[in-house]
Amino acid sequence: MLTVTVNGVPREVVRGDRNLLSFLRYDLGLTGSKYGCGEGLCGACTVLVDGQPLRACMTTTGAVAGGEVTTIEGVATGETLEDLHPVQRAFVEEQAMQCGYCIPGFVMGTIGLLNREPHPSAGQIREALAEHMCRCGTYQRIEKAVQRAAGGEA
Amino acid sequence: MSPLSIVGDVQVGFPAVRTGYGQQTYGNTQPQTQRATWVRIEPDGSVTAFAGKVEYGQNIRTGLAIEVADELRVPLAAVTVILGDTDRVPWDMGTFGSQSTARVGWQLRKACATAREALLSMAADRLDLPAADLEARDGRVVSKSDPSRGVGYADLLGEQELEIEIAERPTVTPPSEFTQMGRQHLIRVDGIDRVTGRAVYSQDVLPEGVLYAAVIRPPAYGARARSVDFAAAERMPGVVRVVHEGSLIAVLAEDDEAAALGARVATIDWELTPGQPGRFEMPSHLVESGTEPFTMQERGDLGEGFRGAAHVLESSYYIPYIAPAPMEPRAAVALWEGDHLTVWAGTQRPFGIRQELSAAFDMPEERVRVIAPEIGGGFGAKSPYGLATEAARLAKVAGRPVRVAYSRADEMAWSNFRPAALVKIRSGFGADGRLTAWDSVAYHSGERVMIGRRGADTPYDAPHVLSVVYRSDSPLPSGSYRSLGAAVNHFAREVHMDEIAEAIGVDPVELRLRNLSEPRFRRVLEATAEAFGWTGPRLANGHGAGIALGIDVGSYVATAAEVSVQEKEVRVHRVSAALDCGLVVNPEGAANQMEGSIVMGLGGALFEAADFQDGRLLTTTFARYRVPRIVDAPKIDVRFVGDDDAPSTGAGEPGIVPIAAAISGAVFGATGQRHRELPIQRYL
Ligand code: FES
Ligand code: FES
Repeated sequence: MLTVTVNGVPREVVRGDRNLLSFLRYDLGLTGSKYGCGEGLCGACTVLVDGQPLRACMTTTGAVAGGEVTTIEGVATGETLEDLHPVQRAFVEEQAMQCGYCIPGFVMGTIGLLNREPHPSAGQIREALAEHMCRCGTYQRIEKAVQRAAGGEA
Repeated sequence: MSPLSIVGDVQVGFPAVRTGYGQQTYGNTQPQTQRATWVRIEPDGSVTAFAGKVEYGQNIRTGLAIEVADELRVPLAAVTVILGDTDRVPWDMGTFGSQSTARVGWQLRKACATAREALLSMAADRLDLPAADLEARDGRVVSKSDPSRGVGYADLLGEQELEIEIAERPTVTPPSEFTQMGRQHLIRVDGIDRVTGRAVYSQDVLPEGVLYAAVIRPPAYGARARSVDFAAAERMPGVVRVVHEGSLIAVLAEDDEAAALGARVATIDWELTPGQPGRFEMPSHLVESGTEPFTMQERGDLGEGFRGAAHVLESSYYIPYIAPAPMEPRAAVALWEGDHLTVWAGTQRPFGIRQELSAAFDMPEERVRVIAPEIGGGFGAKSPYGLATEAARLAKVAGRPVRVAYSRADEMAWSNFRPAALVKIRSGFGADGRLTAWDSVAYHSGERVMIGRRGADTPYDAPHVLSVVYRSDSPLPSGSYRSLGAAVNHFAREVHMDEIAEAIGVDPVELRLRNLSEPRFRRVLEATAEAFGWTGPRLANGHGAGIALGIDVGSYVATAAEVSVQEKEVRVHRVSAALDCGLVVNPEGAANQMEGSIVMGLGGALFEAADFQDGRLLTTTFARYRVPRIVDAPKIDVRFVGDDDAPSTGAGEPGIVPIAAAISGAVFGATGQRHRELPIQRYL
């Protein structure tokens, strides 16, 4: 039996060809990962697989079997600022959001970036998040949030 | 039931409803109930406020909570704002036109001021102290002379169930006494829900037993199914049923992929509508199909104005359709319980959708509940929401809850675009650049005439003015979009002003000031020029600078931009903007809206355009429809220059109004090339 670990819980993969985003959202009810385009172009569906950001809409459960998937629900679910992951907290503190639909994807992309590069330059931040889309246009705040989370100047 | 409820009339919305605009644009929705509870003080002293608005990114929940908290003298954390649920909130026409703070916020403030006065007088009795000695603070009424004497709202109200009417003229708090309004707030009240993925959008509503629908939409505008063959779809595993009822063609399945696959294997014979104009024919099509000329502005006598002119300048401006492209494609979920219908739909007008549903199923509105959850962006486009009825029809057929969701391609094609427009301007002016005549004719596509009319009058002091707006045919579905046609009309007018400045060799800021007597315009322009460090269009490093001004939803705005141009790419380095929207309730929220409007307007200025041919939309994916990304985002600084005692006007839309002209002017500064057509990068 194939399994994929989602936010620390092993889950059985019934159909290896099931789209990973659909599996997370509709089979597991983890709706924090968003559908924005279904073709890898907006980043709203970004999750971490073994610590690295991946577009859930572009892959299948079979392809990540045996791996560790982290969704936004697995990052931190606190009710207060103190209980959040530093990246989440930075997004709240910079008010880096409007409608918020893109934000789980940006948070996951940022965590992935900081895993690779704890002190990214402005250029590295822009490059890492270049494929994420925020139609509300909160990019300036998002950049500040990433800098803040990285412990740099906000 | 709560110890204290403050009730009052619902608001018939948007003043424009009376002019027929609301009726024409949004249907003849009228309040079913005239009275509603606006604010409640709960048994534990916390406060619940109700508003018929929806949250789609404009941060209205925080804005309203701040107003309530300040007016009622409670901490922000004690306030919960309930929005967009037709069973729970006062009737509302819809969330558009940047009216939320201006109107609903004011109603809530009056309700809270009424409650505060009632609490003060109850406390005077309870504490046996003169009312003049009492003040409300932090959820309590306390004695000013002896702060140890006081009583909390919850204790004061106890077990009673009081209902009071919003006073006609309650003592609302003057700006000098604000403790929360107008201050920097460090967080938005729903911020944590948004970063944890807890915020529920309509795409996320999944009731027990829900069926996933794949609704098959035509391959082109105006196409109609002659026949549908579902034989293969019906054999697909997971497919529960297929539906073909009039124009509604759908596959219902136990999961989203099975439904989509079922839809893919359906064989449909489409009848297409030939001869539809394509994108290249649009400019001439707009003029040829123009009808219903409407005079927006008329003064003096143009003939005389042109006779008195030292120079005459004539130019045309073309703006293509652009797509709102919100991040969240529309979704709706319908649930029938007996003869009661609940629909979750991320629409800007839940009450309007309730009315549509009640008409579609011929049932009273009381048996229909529409809930607008969080909305992943709308920018004006999510007022129409046909999915709600589709979901309800399918759920009725299936006997189970049904979810209908747009794919990205659906959202691109079956939303409504900002109308395409062509504007012709002829101006006459003296050697000093003072306008003597202004003759403007605009053609905007689409049925909704008010869209093209918005912002079509000039704020400049020309003595002889005629501004006429035509309604033209629209091959694409067109409709509301941030600022409606104002951004389009402003683009034409402001680029024209730059052309005049260039023609007589005067600085663009100076030229505008020579033609502006309204102090609020002068103030935003001067503030922007100062913040930006305006020195003229040509900058030493080869960069260009542009500046433009405007007015929308009662707010005055100006914007300056610095760009550089490399081959086919324009980089916008920085933008400064000044906004006068009267009293700013939540500066951080308003700044966020301004920044967002500027980024959105940058997309339309530089690269966004909806392309189509033979009734088919060609830009159905983000691979073909470029929207601004983080690498495109300029550094933006926004300042607010309005007076605190001027009423609040909108902050969500004005930012988009001058930006395209400012960028066009800046590109001119950098390249010497004047851009009268959008998107600029296509014409570099
Ligand atoms: S939904 Fe996966 S990248 Fe857009
Ligand atoms: S906050 Fe709305 S899309 Fe980013």
